[in-house]
Formats: sequence, C-alpha cells, structure tokens
Amino acid sequence: MTELVLESRPDINADLTADQIRLEDLQTEEMLVNMGPQHPATHGVLRVVLRTDGEMVLEAVPHIGYLHRCAEKIGENVAPYQYIPYTDRMDYLAGMNDNLAFALAAEKLAGMELSRRAQLIRVVFAELNRIASHLVSMGTYGLDMGAFTPFLYAFREREMILDLFEAACGARLTYSYITVGGVTQDLPERWIDVCSEFLDYFEPKIDEYNNLLSFNHIFVKRTANVGVITPEDALAFGLTGPVLRGSGIRWDLRKAQNDLGYDEFEFDVPIGEGLKGTLGDCWDRYYVRILEMKQSVRILRQALARLPDAPGDAYDKRGKTMKLPADEIYYELENPRGQLGFYIQGNGSTIPARVKARGPSFCNLSVLTHIGTNCLLADIAAIVGSIDVVMGEVDR
Amino acid sequence: MNSPVEAISFYVFAAVTLGSAVGIVLSKNIVRAATCLLGTLGGVACLYFVLHANLLAAIQLIVYAGGTLILIVFGVMLTSKSPWAQFSPTRGQVAAAVVVAAMLAFSMCSLMLSADWSRPSGSLLESPKVAEVGKMLLTDYLVPFEVASVILLVVMIGAAYLARPEK
Amino acid sequence: MAQITLPWTPKDPEKLRAYRAKAVKLLFGLALLQLLTAGALYTVFSIGVPARIEDWKVIVVVLGVLGPAAGFGACFLGGLAVILYRQIGAFLRLPWVAFVLFCGGVVGACLLVWAHALLFDFTKHMLEKPIGTTEVATDLLGSGLVAPLTVREIYSEIRSVIPQPLAAYLLWPLQFDLVRDLVALAGIIGFVSIVPVFGIWWERKVAGRIQSRLGPMRVGGWHGWLQSPADGLKLIFKEDFIPPEGDRILFRLAPYLTFVPAICAFIALPFAGAYVFRDLDVALLFILAMLGIEVVGVILAGWASNNKWSVYGAMREACQMVSYEIPMGMSLLIPVMTVGTLRLTAIADAQGDGFHSWLLFRNPFCFVAFFCYYVAALASCKRAPFDLPESESELVAGFHTEYSGFRWSLFFFGEYAAMFIVSGLAVILFLGGWKSPFPESWALQTGGPWYQDFVARVLNGMLLKEGPILFILKAAFLYYVQLWVRWTLPRIRIDQVLYGCVQVLLPLTMLVLLGNTFWILATKHLELGWVDTLDTIFHAALVILGYILVIGMIAIAAYGYMNRRRLVGTLAVDHLPGA
Repeated sequence: MTELVLESRPDINADLTADQIRLEDLQTEEMLVNMGPQHPATHGVLRVVLRTDGEMVLEAVPHIGYLHRCAEKIGENVAPYQYIPYTDRMDYLAGMNDNLAFALAAEKLAGMELSRRAQLIRVVFAELNRIASHLVSMGTYGLDMGAFTPFLYAFREREMILDLFEAACGARLTYSYITVGGVTQDLPERWIDVCSEFLDYFEPKIDEYNNLLSFNHIFVKRTANVGVITPEDALAFGLTGPVLRGSGIRWDLRKAQNDLGYDEFEFDVPIGEGLKGTLGDCWDRYYVRILEMKQSVRILRQALARLPDAPGDAYDKRGKTMKLPADEIYYELENPRGQLGFYIQGNGSTIPARVKARGPSFCNLSVLTHIGTNCLLADIAAIVGSIDVVMGEVDR
Repeated sequence: MNSPVEAISFYVFAAVTLGSAVGIVLSKNIVRAATCLLGTLGGVACLYFVLHANLLAAIQLIVYAGGTLILIVFGVMLTSKSPWAQFSPTRGQVAAAVVVAAMLAFSMCSLMLSADWSRPSGSLLESPKVAEVGKMLLTDYLVPFEVASVILLVVMIGAAYLARPEK
Repeated sequence: MAQITLPWTPKDPEKLRAYRAKAVKLLFGLALLQLLTAGALYTVFSIGVPARIEDWKVIVVVLGVLGPAAGFGACFLGGLAVILYRQIGAFLRLPWVAFVLFCGGVVGACLLVWAHALLFDFTKHMLEKPIGTTEVATDLLGSGLVAPLTVREIYSEIRSVIPQPLAAYLLWPLQFDLVRDLVALAGIIGFVSIVPVFGIWWERKVAGRIQSRLGPMRVGGWHGWLQSPADGLKLIFKEDFIPPEGDRILFRLAPYLTFVPAICAFIALPFAGAYVFRDLDVALLFILAMLGIEVVGVILAGWASNNKWSVYGAMREACQMVSYEIPMGMSLLIPVMTVGTLRLTAIADAQGDGFHSWLLFRNPFCFVAFFCYYVAALASCKRAPFDLPESESELVAGFHTEYSGFRWSLFFFGEYAAMFIVSGLAVILFLGGWKSPFPESWALQTGGPWYQDFVARVLNGMLLKEGPILFILKAAFLYYVQLWVRWTLPRIRIDQVLYGCVQVLLPLTMLVLLGNTFWILATKHLELGWVDTLDTIFHAALVILGYILVIGMIAIAAYGYMNRRRLVGTLAVDHLPGA
C-alpha cells in the first residue's frame, strides 16, 4: 500500500501505528485525506489529496493521469479521418464538439472547403451536444449537492437528445459522426421536425430547472461565495469556457473567431454577474451553463430553419484521401467545457507528424489548488463540480 | 421484592452496571471505556425503572447517556491520535492512587455497614407525579434549581470563550 | 454454442429431482410424526376431557400439543412448497395477488391486534374477579409462587363461548404479566420490522415517481412489492466483512446501539388509547431519551471502521443530532404545556373533539412549534436536507461506509423506525393522535344487535371516532412528507446546519415557548374577556387555515394529476415511463 504523502508537507503522514503513539497535549491534528480516484463526487478518476484541519481544507492537490490513453501518440500513426474516434473519447460527454474541433483543424490544414449543408449540420449537432453536456453537468452538480431529482430530469431530456443522435448516426455517446469532410451521412427523414419538437418541449424545462435547483435557497447557500475565481486569476490561469465566463469575462470563441460558421446566427454570450454572491463563485459558473443552454436553443432554431434549403452534400469523400501539407496548425473550438485546441503538424503524407490536444478541463483543473484552500470539505465537491471536469480530456 | 421478575431484573441490571464499571476501569482502550460508560449509565437508568422512578430514569438517559456520554466520546475521539493509549504511571502516582482508593473504600464500607437496611414502610408501586416534582423544583427547591442553572450558564459561557477561534 | 456453467446452474436435473424428492419425503415424514405426537399426547393426557382438567397439564399442552402442531403446519406447508414451488412463483407474480395479500395482511393484522386486546382484557377482567370457587390455587412447582387462576376456572368462564378445554389450557399462561408482556413485545417487534420493510419500498416508489421514473417494478410482480424482503434476503447472505484494523467489538456493537433504542421507543409510543405497551407518565421524555441514545451507535460505527471518512461522518452526525435535540425537545414542550401532562395518551385524549380541537390549531405558538419540531426531527433522523452523515456523494457513505450486509440493514431499520417514531410523536402531540378529524357527534352508536354493533365498531375504529388505523395513516402521511422532502431539496453543509440550529431554530423555539407560556397564563389564569375573544379569533383563523391547507393539498394534487400532459410535457408523457 502506498504511503500518502503531500509534497508540500512531508512531515504529515497519514497513518501512524499503535506503538508510535504517545499521549500528547490536547490538540486537533491535521489530516491527509485522499479523495478518489474512485469517488462519487470527483466526476471521473480524479484524485485530490487534501490536507485538512478538522473540517477546513488547507490545501488541495489534484493528481491526474488515471485515464491517460496515449491519444496524442496514436495521432502520429493514423490518418485524420481515422483519428476521429479517438477524439470522441477525450471529452466523452461532448463527442460531437471534439470531433468538430479535430475535423476543422485537419480541414483547415489541408485547405478543404465544405458545403453549406455540411457546415449547418455540424453546427446543429455541436449545439445539441452542448445542451446535452450542460444537462449532465447540471444534473451531476445537483447530485453532488444532494439534490437527487434534477439529475434525473436532466437525463430525461438528454435521453431525447441521444435518441436524436442515435437516429442520425447510430451511436449514443461516442459518435464519430462529424468527420473530416463533413458528416458521415446525411440526416434521416423528419429528423429536423423531431428536433424542432424537442426544442419546443425543452425550452420551458430550463425555467423548471431554475425553479427546482438554480434558485433553490439551499443550493444557492451551498454554491454562492464558494470557490471564487477573480477575473484576473481566471485570465492568469488560462481558463476558458463557462469557468472563464462565470468570472465576468465575455469571451466566447464562437463570437471571437469568425471562421466557425456562427457569424450568421444571433445569440448572446452569458457571463456571470455575481447575482447571488460574489462574481466568479460556483453559482455563477453553474448559472452561465444554464443560460448557455438557452442560447444554444436559439442557435439551433435558426440553424434548423436554414437547413432544409442548404445546398451541397453532407459528406465530402476527399476527407478520406486528403494529404496534409508540410505545415502546422493550431485550431481551437468552443467546447461546452472550454476551448479544445488541436495542433496538427503535417509532413506531406496522409498521416500527421504530430497531434497535440489542448484539453480545456486540464487547464481549468489547475485552478483547484488556488481556490481549494481555506474552504470546507463539502466545498471541494462544489468547486470540482462547478469547474465541470471530464477526466477524458484532462488525461487524454 | 414484590415479585420474582423484579428480583431478577435487579440482579441482571446490577450485574450490567457493575460489569460495565469494571470494564471502564480495566479497559486499555479509551473508546471502549467510553462505551462501557454507556453500559453503566444505562444500567443505572434501568435500575431506576425497576424502582418505578420513571422520571428519574428518563432524565438519566437523556442527560447522561444522550448528552454527557456523547460529549465524552467526542472528546476522546477528537483528541487522541490512537485509542490504544498506553498509560505508564510512575511509582509515586501508583502509591498515591492506592492510598486514595483505600481511604475511599474504607469510608464507603463503614458507611454501608452502619446504615439501616431495614425495609422502609410504604411501597414504591407508583412513580411520583411529574407535576409534583415540577412544583417542588419551583417552590421548595427553587434556590438549588436557580443555582444549577446559573452554573450551567457560566459553563456555557466559559466553553464558548475557551473555544473561540484565535485571531 | 458453448455451455456456460454458472455456480448456480444445476449440473444435473436428475440429482436435483432426487434432492427434491428426498426433501419432500423428509418434510412430510416429519409432519406426520409431529401430528401423531400431538394427537397421541392429546389423547393420552385427556386434554379434551373437561372432567380431567389439571393445571400441570399446561406444560403438556404447550410443549407436546402446541409445539408439534405448529411444527406439523410448518413441515406440511414446507413440503407443499417444495412440490409446488414453480406454481407458487407464477402465482405470486400475478398482479392481483400482491394486492389481495396486502389487504389480507392488513385485515389479518387488525384482527390479530383486536383479538389480542380482547384476550388481554378478558384475562385482566378474570383476574380482578374474586375467587368464588373452592379451588385451591396452584402452587407452581412447589416454589411458593401462586398462580391466581386455575385452568378449571378459566374453562368455566369460557365454556359458553368455546366449549374446548384446549382453549382454557392455552389461555392459562396469559394470566401472568410477564407472558402478556412478551406477547405484546412480539407484536411490537413484528410491527417494527414491517415498518422499515414497507418504508423502504415506499421510499423507492416515491423517489421514482418524483424523478419521473417508476421505482421497483419487477420483484414480486405488482410494482415490486417484494423488493424489500428480497433485498433483505440478499443482505443476509453477504460476506461479513469487518475492517481488519478497526475495533472489532465496537464495530459489531454499533448497529445494535442504533437499532435497539428505536425498538425501545415503541414501548412507550401509543397507537391508540388501549394499544400501548406501557402507558408511561413520562412517555415523551422516554422516547426522546431513546432517540438520543441512537447517536452513540452512529459515533461508534464511524470510529470503529478505521476509516477517516467514516470518522468525519460520525463527527458531523454527533454535532448535528445533539444540537437539534434541543429545539426538538423545546418545541415538544409547547403542546405538553398546553395540555399539562407528559403522558401521551392523555395528550391525545385532549384532542378528541374533531379537527378543530387538534393542538396544532390551539394557538399560533403551537402552530409554529409544529414546524420547528418537524424540521428539528428531520435533522435528528438525519434525513435530507440534513443527511450529511450519509451524504453519498461526498463521503461515499459516511459513518456506515464499511458496513455491509445485515449490519448495514440494521442501521437502516433503525433509521426508518426512528422516522416513524418521530412522525408518530408529531401526530400525537399536534395532529390529534388516533382521534378522528370528524367531530364526536359523528361517531356511531354501539351496542345494538351484533351485526350493527360490529359495523359501528369497525367504522368508528377506522374512520369516525378513534383507532390505531387513523394514527398509522396520519403518521404515514408525515412519513411521506419526509420522503418527499428528501428527494426534492439539496443537502445543507454542516456549518450551515449548525448555524441554522443555534442561530435560527433555537431562538425561534425559545420565543415560541415564551409566547406560549404567556398565552396560557393569559387565557387560563387571568379572567380577561378580551384575551378570551382574541384566543377564539386566533383559534378560528388557524382552523380555517388548516382547512385551506388540507383542501389545497388535495386540490393541487388532483390538478397536477389531471394536467400532467401539459405540465410534464407531451414528449415525456408519451415516450417515457413513469412520467
């Protein structure tokens, strides 16, 4: 059994045996507590070593790597269209967005243009997956806080989204649907109508979630003023996504970068405003996700309206045989969890020389050491839940 | 005793009480000693029930078993790094303890031997009315009642003062 | 296809048939043997002959006739079960079977309780009669102890109703207090075992429905009614794992320290005026004491697990439960003050005049005290939103992380029993106990011809006047509210829990206590007219509020059910189960 040691305080060791004990003066002791890697509140295989004094956490150090699968090395052995399934498994809750990021990076590197239909379909699926991902984030956050019911409501709605995905591509979690050259197959009949029906059903549900969870007094007391990330800290730590926007900085790649295809859509970028506590607390980050779901619905309605008349093929076969020039590209996309970036270096053949993925959860998780000090043990669960990490893209 | 059931109950509960008390003294593990304390306090409460002193028994359970004991166990749990604490008293301490114990035993034995164990008249078949106890507390025994509450208040204030966070 | 061998797959159907045949032979053989023994002893000792009744034959009856007769029944049914086990399984899975069994169980339980009350009354009545016969009282085994009644006396009393001496032999042990107490205790333990079993099933169904799903549906056929016994059976067979570094003795002791006080509290909890094991004059204090002892078990469980997370859970639990006992006790004092006694039966008797006489509506302070008590009781039972000690998502399972199998189920038995006790206390002290909400004038007259008398008694007992069923229904409603709250609200952090107790609930309870004191002083001891009118006005206002609340709850539930398509969403109602 490995010893539990904290690098900053090697003098504290976890377990002392009976013959090492003497009766000492009355004092409470600092404990080293290990949270994870199997733990219901750490959203995957995350291990957090906590130095606690009673109920207060003095230091929190995350240990990662339990889900490392050498994804980047594998990228040097397969062609881009073959690498798409590996990107699925990075942020497995937002598979479409991962696929989209890598597909766009590869297409931009090779200089391939896509048809309008393919672009619109990709936007639709990316936004639907954003909603699904935020639903999971909201549900599991409620579950961490002890509210068991919103989790099931979120998954009830997510089931419908997954049914839509299954109708389009046959898979429920790891889609590999958005690929280099477009999407693997066009939408089935009536898919757009069913999707619109779902959007009509879903939009009032967001208000229901607000009533049930977001503005629930107990939930607010658990998450407001907890884990405050100041805007300066957010920029200094390189945070992206709702974590950054929760601290009040209005930065969204969909608006900042104009080659993703979002220019024609009208939508807002919600930011945290410290409504319930301090600017940049857990509640702000959570509420930003709720508002983003609303904006995603807006984008979806506009996209679905334009989809039936969009010309072109959904899939461009050149994606399979495309050669990557001896050039490099780093391309980022706004994922539900932040900015997922892919760096691809081509060398003239179909197989890249180097693939690197910048996982947003990896960068977002680094802020845990900063804000996980001087809080209570229950707050660690609140903080980790509000950062919304998925270990797949932390470890890759 | 009025019935064999009462006699049997008395012996059983007395055995439980005394056995737990012996357990407290002889146990090397602090938390086990605290658990034996629960046995002792519970045994005394059961004895009160055998004597039909329901009010006293219930109060014994609430105050001692449900309050004091929990505080003791809490204190034990929080302050000892391990329950298997080794006491190694010095010879002077042992000598002092023997002297005190002998004095205590001598005084208690002489008290018990000189007491009048004849059966008092009247029966204990009815437990005292709670209303009467309450009235007596507020009329005949008002001063001790108020003094006790003042003592408890002082204790609370002292505890809050001692446990204040250090600035 | 490859042959999959699983541990429980019978390798040889022939062998299995042989085992079954052997078992059937054994069981029927034993049954026959026991029947013959019972019959033989019955005849040899002339149990059925009235002229040859002797007191010492009671031992023969109990050991030689009753025992083997019960054994015969068990072995015979066992043999039948082995022969018909497939058919029994299929039969149990029919939907209406569960319902019939449930109703039969309820009716049977009611009949059993009523029969036992009748028997005990009859025995007490006989004990009080002066001994007018010339019988010599029995000297039990020469020990000097005397049994007040002989079998012959009992037989002469019951001869008109049951002309069987066997019944008189069976009634003879009931004249001793100890035997009557043991029988009543068996009933209490039976009830205490049923409450968690039913409660866990109900909780899972309620949780499912709130979460837009169905809950257990398969085990036993109709809505998974056998789920709890199945889970209990599974838990009994689990590996008995004790953490190697932990304190073995304390680890084993802790679940019992949590479970036993919950049973003991039922000693003093009355289900109706006559249905109480011991009508203690300090019943309320006793029940509070029992609920307080449960804390010790929880602390020891956390400590003995040798697991830092369990210790955390145990520490939080102790803080929380002990802190909330104070507002709980103080808010319970308010109806006690209003009625003037700690005796629970007397408090319930004071609310016998219908809905408006319930102590909840007596004065505004009692009204507030009910909610203070309920919140404090939720915290004391460690139910959500105060369920940090077992917060699954933070400490895995808190103080009972290392417990599995039967020991774990004991913790939950204790928790669900405590939930019922706490609800029962609230019902007795605030909601009229076992008294009906209908006014006294609505009660039917008893004493007519036997069929009219029977119907009147049943209706009175179940609806119109007073009865244990009313108590159980009201306690079940409060129990349901506890389940409802658990699956709706998030969890409160420990510092917020303690803040809420010490800085909000405790001052509020003290204010309410003070206010109630002055109110009682003003209404009962000062003869001021305006005070009395004020009292009546507040009383009436609270009763009207009560009516509004009850009718409102029913109306909202009906509205929700009838408009569920619109409220939940047609997509969910059409495509998802349980919506």
